[in-house]
Amino acid sequence: MQSANMLLRKIVRSSVLPFAAQYGMKKDLFPLSRMLSLSLCLKQDKSCEPSEKLDLDEWKKVMKSGLQEEVSETVSEPEELSSLAAARQTLEMWRLAGRAVPDNISEEQLKTFMECPSKSAKKKYLKYLHIRELHKKSDKRKMDEKRERRLEAQDQASNTDETKKNSFVFLSSSAMDKAYHWRAAQSMIFGQPLVFDMSYEKEMSVREVTNTVRQLVLSESCNRRAVDPFHIHFCNLKDDSLYHREFIKHYKEAWGKLLITVTDQCYTEIFPKDKLIYLTADSPKVMKKFDHDKIYIVGSMVDKSIKTGVSLARAKRLGLETAALPLEKYLLWNTGAKNLTLDQMMHILLTLKDTADWRKALEFVPKRKYCGFVNKPVKELKKTLDLINTLRLGKRREQVENQFAKNHPKK
Amino acid sequence: VQPPEKPLQAEEWNKLREDFQLPEIFEEVMLNSMIRCNSPIDVAKSLLTHLAKRNGDIAYNVLVKYLTLCVQQGQVAEIRDVYDIMKVRFKILESGAYNLLIKGLSDSDQWRMALTLLEEVKKIMIPSRTCYESCIKAASRHQEMKLAFELYHEMLAKDVVPTLDVLQSFFNFSRGMKGAELQKQLFGILLYLRENQIYPHKTFMRSIKLWFESIPGGKWRGNLTNIKDSGQCPVCKHQLEDSNLTEEEYSNLSERIIRDVIHGTDTFRKTSPKEFEAFQRFVENRLPFDIVIDGLNVSHMRSRKMQCENLFDAVNCLAKDNARLLVLGRKHMLMNSSNWKQEIMKEMQNKADFFFAENISEDDAFLLYATLRSGKHCRFVTRDFLRDHKACLPDSLTRHLFRKWQRGHQIAFSSVFSQQPALRYDCVVQTTGDTWHIPYKDVFEEKYSYEVPRKWLCIHQK
Repeated sequence: MQSANMLLRKIVRSSVLPFAAQYGMKKDLFPLSRMLSLSLCLKQDKSCEPSEKLDLDEWKKVMKSGLQEEVSETVSEPEELSSLAAARQTLEMWRLAGRAVPDNISEEQLKTFMECPSKSAKKKYLKYLHIRELHKKSDKRKMDEKRERRLEAQDQASNTDETKKNSFVFLSSSAMDKAYHWRAAQSMIFGQPLVFDMSYEKEMSVREVTNTVRQLVLSESCNRRAVDPFHIHFCNLKDDSLYHREFIKHYKEAWGKLLITVTDQCYTEIFPKDKLIYLTADSPKVMKKFDHDKIYIVGSMVDKSIKTGVSLARAKRLGLETAALPLEKYLLWNTGAKNLTLDQMMHILLTLKDTADWRKALEFVPKRKYCGFVNKPVKELKKTLDLINTLRLGKRREQVENQFAKNHPKK
Repeated sequence: VQPPEKPLQAEEWNKLREDFQLPEIFEEVMLNSMIRCNSPIDVAKSLLTHLAKRNGDIAYNVLVKYLTLCVQQGQVAEIRDVYDIMKVRFKILESGAYNLLIKGLSDSDQWRMALTLLEEVKKIMIPSRTCYESCIKAASRHQEMKLAFELYHEMLAKDVVPTLDVLQSFFNFSRGMKGAELQKQLFGILLYLRENQIYPHKTFMRSIKLWFESIPGGKWRGNLTNIKDSGQCPVCKHQLEDSNLTEEEYSNLSERIIRDVIHGTDTFRKTSPKEFEAFQRFVENRLPFDIVIDGLNVSHMRSRKMQCENLFDAVNCLAKDNARLLVLGRKHMLMNSSNWKQEIMKEMQNKADFFFAENISEDDAFLLYATLRSGKHCRFVTRDFLRDHKACLPDSLTRHLFRKWQRGHQIAFSSVFSQQPALRYDCVVQTTGDTWHIPYKDVFEEKYSYEVPRKWLCIHQK
């Protein structure tokens, strides 16, 4: 009986194995099997053609062979694709073609992608997602490396098993936070107000608003760390506006505990008009010195397209005084717009407030935007610049006239 | 890397690949340089074979590169093979591959296949202009003008802008062909040029001329000519269209300028409502002017002279024949300074009306308003091209109107007070039925957007 059983098992096993080899393998290890068969036929080729002649179209055979199964799969799928799936497929092809496309894309992003009005808008959006993905990946990698290093260091420390004692006074980060909060609270009572005008939502795209809020978060944090912080006012901030939602995204529950004043009122309703100064790069007036009795207003706006005069128009409408930073006076401007980011403005204003030193304050202007500080009186510099220009222009004018005469000979 | 000259064996490719710094992208780089050097296709094939043997698969981007090489050399059979492979491999292709396939096939005797491919593209996206271009050219090359025009209209309907090349090919391939329908279509292209203010280049112009002269029984004659300042064609003595806008166009344009340029999203950006009202009142009381002058612009004409002297010269020069002048300026001009002498300013104010805007307001907007309000005869003086104001207009139609009006009404001073008169005639393709006048530029890329060509093709029926 036992022996009969064994025999049966043997039969079953032997019949199962080739079966598995035929179907199971093909499904799971498909590329492998194809490679195997390929190398087999290669050998055959070599054996029958020893002259090593190349078959130049062999790649086509390879590409076509083994595709029959896949073809039948595609046929069985429904032909009509939803627009989302179609978009996903287009993306897939773009990725295969080597374009800047993110590896993973969420449903929401895919919808935004489809809503892009033009081809170039689509490309831009994908590139943005792609770069963001790359950044995230590299950040994650760095974090992992850091964690590993830390764990290693901990291991080593536990090995030596020696708690070092030193005589420094220990300052925990929470203690620092407390100190900062204390200062900020003081500024809420005694500090000089600084207003951020949050009335530009209509002028901005969603991404510009996001950027604005990020810059504001940075400004707030650097203000908190300052020796003598401003009392920050977010004016014209409507509940459930895009600004508001973005703030909550950033701060989460800390939003309610920030030591700043948030209001949907306009600054003109809170402060006397004659004390307000609207800071805008378009202003014809140049700021001479920082006034501790005035209330400065900064427009919370990131302007990626060219919308000159928007904040100046605001100030004109309300009849406020305006001022621009004296960038020209202190810096030899090189390239870039004169409008600075909100956190740069914050740094500059804080430094001015503490030191009244323009050079020190204007260190916060990005280095790429200027060649250096003006060391001679501006008038002198301008004279030499004018001289250079007239010399150069004079020459060029001659050149242009010669060129013109050449192109348009008199008849 | 230098591509090899002959097909290589697998081992040889392997060696090359190992010697390359970045083996992962070896194939791509190699194929790129093959495309650049236009290597024989067999070399590329041997590389693909090597790839297929090693990986059992060839990546999509490598296939597209190979396809580029095939298209470049017009290897139709190969293109078809690659297409067959791609079609089986991938459900859809992306635009780059489609462009290549259509371009490659349309140049061959299998051009009809390019058309079916175009249909395939349409299912997933709007075909690119090169796709249409290839198909249209292929169709017209094979004298299927009807089909070509169908594609052309489809393209326009999808807001795909045709290249001048496509338009030219219509004229080239219709030469000597009969048919009222065809003629109508080609006239339609000329009207398309007119509506979009496009000027053909010299070779395109020649194609147009040859086509006209080849119409059987049409008796058309074409001559190259320069139009006189009066707007008369020296060849056929025909008077060209006036540069003036129609009543409707004119009122449309002035409305748009007030709405979009002066007020825009916020009146405060360029002026203030109070100031604008004051200006409106000022202008209405003194209408109509003959010439409106941008004072500050004119005053910067010659840098060696005092600014108010420059302005003074300009005003004197223009104040002939009792012309009513309006000079627009800013308030700072009224302050006595090294550049603005008050005696001269006083004297000028006897000869012309002056309006001084706030120093931070934009006087150009006032310039446009005052000129448009004064009526069609009124012209304005500035060297500014007013591009920023044109850009404030929302649609291309109004922008074209603005350009036309500007051409007809702007007086520009070049360096030394030689007046460049506003053109009296309109510089666009135009017809009266038995004549056509077509402005053209000498070279393909010559001409700035503010310049108009001075050379014309005159076509008339004998």
